[in-house]
Amino acid sequence: MVLVQVIVGGLLLGAIYALFSSGLTLIWGMMNFINFAHGEFVMLGMYVALLVVVWLGGGPALFSIAAALALFALGVAIYLSLIRHVIRGPMLAQILSSFGLALLLRYTAFWIFSANFVSLPQTSLAGTLNVGGIFLPIAQLVAGAVAITLTIALHLLLTRTTVGSRLLAVAEDRNAAMLMGIRPDRMQALAWGLSAGAAGVAGALLATAYPWSPSVGETFGLIAFVVVALGGFGSVLGSMYAGLIIGLIQAVSAFWLGAIYKDIVVYGLFVALLWLRPQGLMGKA
Amino acid sequence: MLLEAKNVSKAFGSFEAVSGADLAVDEGEIIGLIGPNGAGKSTFFNCLAGDTLPTTGRIVFNGADVTRASPEAHARAGIGRTFQVPATFDDMTVIDNVMVGAFLRHLHRNDARDHARRIVDLTGLRPDQPARSLGTPGRKRLEIARVLATDPRLLLLDESLAGLTPTELRDAIALVRRIHEMGVTIVIVEHIMEVIMTLTKRVLVFNQGRVIASGTFEAVVKDEAVIEAYLGRGARRPPPYPPPQAGEGSSIFPPPHAGEG
Amino acid sequence: MKKILSPWGLLAAGLLLYPIIFSDPFYRDIGAAFLLAAVSASAWNIVGGYAGQVSVGHSMFFGLGAYMPLLFYTLWGWSPIAGIPAGILLSIALALVIGMPTFRLRGHYFSMATIAVAELIRIFFGTWNLVGAAIGLQGPATARAWWDLTFRSELPYYYIFLAVLGILLYVTFAIEHRRFGFYLRAIKASERAARSLGVPVRQTKMKALALSAAFTSAAGSLYAIKTGFIDPDSGFGILVSVQMVIVAALGGAGTLFGPLVGALILVPLQTAANTWFGGGGSGLTFILYGGVIVLIARFEPGGLFELWHRLAPRRWRRARAA
Repeated sequence: MVLVQVIVGGLLLGAIYALFSSGLTLIWGMMNFINFAHGEFVMLGMYVALLVVVWLGGGPALFSIAAALALFALGVAIYLSLIRHVIRGPMLAQILSSFGLALLLRYTAFWIFSANFVSLPQTSLAGTLNVGGIFLPIAQLVAGAVAITLTIALHLLLTRTTVGSRLLAVAEDRNAAMLMGIRPDRMQALAWGLSAGAAGVAGALLATAYPWSPSVGETFGLIAFVVVALGGFGSVLGSMYAGLIIGLIQAVSAFWLGAIYKDIVVYGLFVALLWLRPQGLMGKA
Repeated sequence: MLLEAKNVSKAFGSFEAVSGADLAVDEGEIIGLIGPNGAGKSTFFNCLAGDTLPTTGRIVFNGADVTRASPEAHARAGIGRTFQVPATFDDMTVIDNVMVGAFLRHLHRNDARDHARRIVDLTGLRPDQPARSLGTPGRKRLEIARVLATDPRLLLLDESLAGLTPTELRDAIALVRRIHEMGVTIVIVEHIMEVIMTLTKRVLVFNQGRVIASGTFEAVVKDEAVIEAYLGRGARRPPPYPPPQAGEGSSIFPPPHAGEG
Repeated sequence: MKKILSPWGLLAAGLLLYPIIFSDPFYRDIGAAFLLAAVSASAWNIVGGYAGQVSVGHSMFFGLGAYMPLLFYTLWGWSPIAGIPAGILLSIALALVIGMPTFRLRGHYFSMATIAVAELIRIFFGTWNLVGAAIGLQGPATARAWWDLTFRSELPYYYIFLAVLGILLYVTFAIEHRRFGFYLRAIKASERAARSLGVPVRQTKMKALALSAAFTSAAGSLYAIKTGFIDPDSGFGILVSVQMVIVAALGGAGTLFGPLVGALILVPLQTAANTWFGGGGSGLTFILYGGVIVLIARFEPGGLFELWHRLAPRRWRRARAA
């Protein structure tokens, strides 16, 4: 019984992993760029949620939207001011830029918010649901459900809308896209906005159910890497499946081996993936 | 026969970029590969160079099977190539660029440098000039010098003479001729007909992944299939990129260049 | 006489005489810290600067090198020196484990792997009682003999570090002028082109990483021997990795003296920041580091050396204008 609860809890968390990881894989697939600061986007989303609650007294819907918009704007701003310039340069500059950005965001957050763990005061999603002996915190349930929905929505956006096909066109052939009247710069900025926005919303969703501190950015960033490595580069759908799997593995590891080991298992899985199947579940060999 | 490619095909998913292409090159020849864009000649070229793994077929160089050999193995065997978009080492000087090539056959720096210097003189470049300060024609020339330093028996030129002014083109053609006279066998992919006309003895024409004509340039331009390929007659062109297929991995983004790092 | 007055001669003389001229322990300590930072960054530079394979988890080698000497002492009472080769061997083995799968993939995989593995090891060591778990390990409190390397003055440490730096710089210099160095730079500039010229890309990267790991491990060992203490954060923490990267990148990644220049600027800065901001300084230090790294990446990835080259009159610009 407890195991089932652990599994469900893991899947729900995994759904959120799926959401923010799909942001990372979008950028990777589109621009061949690995964003080391992606975890920080999630972390910032969590703090936006906190600020909205504290300053405006808003509820989950409000702060989720706020986080999405705020991080969308941040993503676009980062693209325009930094990424756009380094993407054509040496690899060193690209990796340094996102890595430096991660440090900048993380430690500014430490400075502003301190290293203490915080959590949101009781929201409208308080309480637990009893489903046949399994106790599911409503916050986690709603967060997981919303996360999966948004992930699928992102996938549909990319594959079924005009905007999505424009993003694809730029990913495939920048020059050809330009000739077709698409502006690659705008599309890439949009991609960054979507990526950060997805991370921000995921953060807000996480905030409803779990406590956090600025240090979680690093952890989430690494989890995003693992999810994307497992799910395959550029594949939002892959991230979805992989996110769920990672959430599951993490929860079960914590249950069987102890909480300290859950991260070790996930990172160890990552290293194993690199060795055995770097193209991920859904990539081509 | 120095190089023989038999029945080479390359498929991306269900899209066949190259279908059953054959090529036979004797030592000392200069061969041209031409065809409209998207015809498959670049993919075929990359198969010959070891950059792309053919789906079927065999490629034999100097008696050895190089079908699945890596680009490094190709270089060691004596096959050199240039790139359509020059990939010079921009952080290094001209002579250092060429030395990287020279080091394949010369272990010690001084030997490599002497060898490189001779080649740099041959191509008329200035040894101490930073590669990044060269324009595109200079970079193309540098690429040729650099691969020449690896002492190739077969040189694969990928549109190395594109984008040059008439004077530059004349010099480049003269350079290629000089290289040929040194004993190097050459296969050229080109769009510029003047190059094909003046340099090559034999030409292969690609269209829609297949070799549709082969022979001297004069013979090939009169071939009906060739004319139709270039001028079209409602001929359907294959899409430049394969559409995503279900079950082929759900990445909706195209894979990057093989080996690009 | 001329040789001694050359820039290198002056540099060597300056480094040799520094702790004698500035004999206050405070200055000697900064000097030792500078040397250590220079050694670590120069070690990173081999694989990160020259070969362009950006490791952001190099602390894993540093930490291994730091733990081994103190572990040998704690477990068996041996001299910490005995642990140095063990650290080096382990680091090389780890380098192989990481390099073999990732070097046949695109560069990003390697960088991601370095972060993940460093974290993995850090957390793991924090739970493993054999190595002191979260508390860490300590070295000999007082010297039993000279080979405990527990000196009361900074002076011997300074010269040991200087010797190691000298060796490392010499090795780097030798690499620069050999085929290996040319191949490293070719790989950094264009892997695809390098391959087409017969460069054995994977093996070359592997060698660079192994060499870098070995020297980084040595740096870690020196650190642990001097401070007499190590724990998961000071060994495997991200600050250690960041420090190596920023010191090398600031001065000029891929140049011989870039890491030295970077260390020369950053170590005194960091000491000053610690004095001014006290304990809270570490947060601000990181913010500063992050900002500096972003600026370097955005405006001058070649670091100060590149900047200097750009601002100094260029022969080729003048020649072309003529």
